[in-house]
Amino acid sequence: MNRLGFDRFSAFYLGAIFILVFGIWTPDLFLTSSTVHTIASSQAISAIMAIAVIVPLATGVFDLSVGAVVNLSAVIVAVLQVRNGWGVWQSIGVAVGVCAGIGVINGFIVVKLRVGALIATLGTGTIIGAFQTIVSKQTQPLPPDSDLWNNLTQTTILGGFQIVVLYLVVIAVFFWWLLEHTPMGRQLYASGGNPDAARLSGVNVDKWRWLSLVISATLSGVAGVLYCSLSGPSLTFGAALLLPAYAAAFLGSTQIRPGRFNIWGTVIAVYVLATGIQGLQYVTGVQWLGDMFNGVALVLAVAFASLSPVLKARRLRAATVEEKLADFEEDPEEKLIRS
Amino acid sequence: MANGETTVAVTDAAARETGDAPALSVRGMSKSFGPTKALQPIDLDIRPGEVHALLGENGSGKSTFIKCLSGYHKPDGGEVHVGGRRLTPGSAASSHALGCRFVHQDLGLIGTETVLDNLNLGGGYRTVLGTIDGRAARRTALADLERAGVDIDPKRVVSTLSPARQTAVAVARALRPDDSGQPRLLVLDEPTARLPQKEVAQLLDIVRSVARAGVAVIYVTHRIEEVFAVAETVTVLRDGRKVATRAVADLDRPALVDLLVGGELDAVDAEHSAQPGAGAPVLLSVENLTSVEVTAIDLEVRQGEVVGIAGITGSGRETLLSTIFGGVPREVGTVRVGGAALRPGRPDLAIGAGVAYLPPDRKVSGAVIDLTARENLMLADLRKHWRWPRLSRKRERTECAGWFSRLAVRPPDAERPLSAFSGGNQQKVLFGKWLRTAPKVLLLDEPSQGVDIATKALLHKEILAAAEAGAGVVVSSSDTEELIAVCHRILVMRHGRIAGTLSGKDKTVLNMSHLSLGARTEEAA
Repeated sequence: MNRLGFDRFSAFYLGAIFILVFGIWTPDLFLTSSTVHTIASSQAISAIMAIAVIVPLATGVFDLSVGAVVNLSAVIVAVLQVRNGWGVWQSIGVAVGVCAGIGVINGFIVVKLRVGALIATLGTGTIIGAFQTIVSKQTQPLPPDSDLWNNLTQTTILGGFQIVVLYLVVIAVFFWWLLEHTPMGRQLYASGGNPDAARLSGVNVDKWRWLSLVISATLSGVAGVLYCSLSGPSLTFGAALLLPAYAAAFLGSTQIRPGRFNIWGTVIAVYVLATGIQGLQYVTGVQWLGDMFNGVALVLAVAFASLSPVLKARRLRAATVEEKLADFEEDPEEKLIRS
Repeated sequence: MANGETTVAVTDAAARETGDAPALSVRGMSKSFGPTKALQPIDLDIRPGEVHALLGENGSGKSTFIKCLSGYHKPDGGEVHVGGRRLTPGSAASSHALGCRFVHQDLGLIGTETVLDNLNLGGGYRTVLGTIDGRAARRTALADLERAGVDIDPKRVVSTLSPARQTAVAVARALRPDDSGQPRLLVLDEPTARLPQKEVAQLLDIVRSVARAGVAVIYVTHRIEEVFAVAETVTVLRDGRKVATRAVADLDRPALVDLLVGGELDAVDAEHSAQPGAGAPVLLSVENLTSVEVTAIDLEVRQGEVVGIAGITGSGRETLLSTIFGGVPREVGTVRVGGAALRPGRPDLAIGAGVAYLPPDRKVSGAVIDLTARENLMLADLRKHWRWPRLSRKRERTECAGWFSRLAVRPPDAERPLSAFSGGNQQKVLFGKWLRTAPKVLLLDEPSQGVDIATKALLHKEILAAAEAGAGVVVSSSDTEELIAVCHRILVMRHGRIAGTLSGKDKTVLNMSHLSLGARTEEAA
């Protein structure tokens, strides 16, 4: 069980099962390069969003405004180009800049005004929704039609993938490096693990929490621009990205490095969920599968993650008993058993 | 009480039922986990009304023994009789039916509920027409509490009771008679581990009154002085083996410590270590420090000096070090480290100035329990192994291995989450975390919380070694003997102020109690 890593790498096995089942079931639809390419690029945005929520989650705060932010970014970047005739790069700059500003405000509310992040970002997310209506005048902007704009995400690169997949890889590698290989990453995780202990170890918890909210908003801004370029403007897509992002983040926290929000576990979770949804849609043709799948995955992943200390303790018990002996005296799980 | 030299074995022969079957009789009980023998075949007899202390370092087999009695573990062999009746191995129901009762360190009470409700939760209320019979419930509750020798209003909410009285409620609940018959054996697992010193005596009274009622008590503890205060007999376990069962009256403290650690203990004594010269530079200087709980504290610590802070709970001792460090806001006053003033409320700047602070409550503010031991050890100084573009894990692992062997951390695997280590080993890791920053000023709050005697001796040695290496150390502790062992000078706090300073021959438990209770002024001491 342990050697095959069914626990740490269960998503890989799940993904393999999906591919096997749907490959046998409907090979001419499922086992095609176009399916691979579609899933890869359509889910790249979801994966970037999931990375966006992981950063604040690592420091112990939720950012629920990312759904609204990603939507606002897409609307701004489209409106500026189509209605105001701005250039592609200026529009992108303003859209992402506005989102970064929202992150600064989120951080201010959480760190300085001491409002719980869940409530704070729920509130700002709703306010952002109002701003979006003001900016868009409640009509869906037309898609910008410059080649530069379309090629931004749709250029085909190596292996027939769209370039948006490459963006995801770059962003994932960067944040993997940041979280796993720098002092900053270590301090982010410590802030989330035990803010008091982190502060007394010299970690500026407030600073990291603030910064993490700026990162999540900025990254959502980037995701909004990419989404708009890939699929065209929409007034409503953001909300639909919020839940899958959290589903992937929590499912990812049971993978690779169990008990910790981590980049690769999350990216894998995004693609495994998407493979399952895509396969089922081919087979059944119904539309409600995505919501059903993501909702169930979120609940199960969180249940699994909160049970994981128990799983950890069990794994340890299976480990060499000599090493374990010293731990007998203070095994919290065993303390639960009372006569 | 705190003076371990006095040997007072409390017996109450009058109340003991003689001629009865032993309350507990264990013959050849053993337990292995895989290839490792956690418990070698053990024999043990306990009479009704006897208080029997069970002593052993972490990993000695104490917990395994208790868990075999409770039916949580199924012993590999041997027989256990309770009150003459045979215990079915590995059956919690049988253990309960024969009258074995257990009170764990975590009492399992619901703090927000009343004493009455806590007592009744397990057994259920007597009802009349589906309504709780309040008067009957109250009556039984009072009887239960009396059995534990305390007088508590059953309507009190549990969290408003002192820790000792909360333990009494847990004992009362455990000893409540039910359909399965009378309780015969009460196992108390480290009941004083979380108790402030001043409440220990109260708890020991509870233990005595339980024993007087004819219940045999197994009293598990790390604190040797309690053995002398309350137990008649003591059994010492070491490495899964029974070392000895002795009458407490036949033992003195050194003999018991010897049994416990097998003669390997090398206790420290600050008086034998190098005393700092009067000309040594002042590393920490605190002037007029005032916060919510401390008032106008002046304090100087020289290079090479270990200064102790004593005082009862509520005297300001608990927050003084955190206030100096910046964990707790300071209202007025200055703190200087090597001459440079520290800004209040900024632990990060304090660490930068060369201060280290080990918090008193490991779980709440000391450890990041889900990060690995290595990550915890490295947390206070991450720059050391930063080589653009990454933290060098190899260098971190090498350094960790060094600290693990120096502090004898078990198991020697720094890649496990800290939560997978026992309390004593977690404490060693946190100790190492601060020692590795090579601090100028080392502030230690309850440094040996929850650790066994051997670990304590090891940590004490490290404290004196740090001082000899040129640090100024301040140790705040509720363990007065610890302060006497490691400190050159002890400041005793009372009502948020320093009530007096003791050094040399004046460092006695008696002097400390007098100062901390205000029975004597500094001049008289």
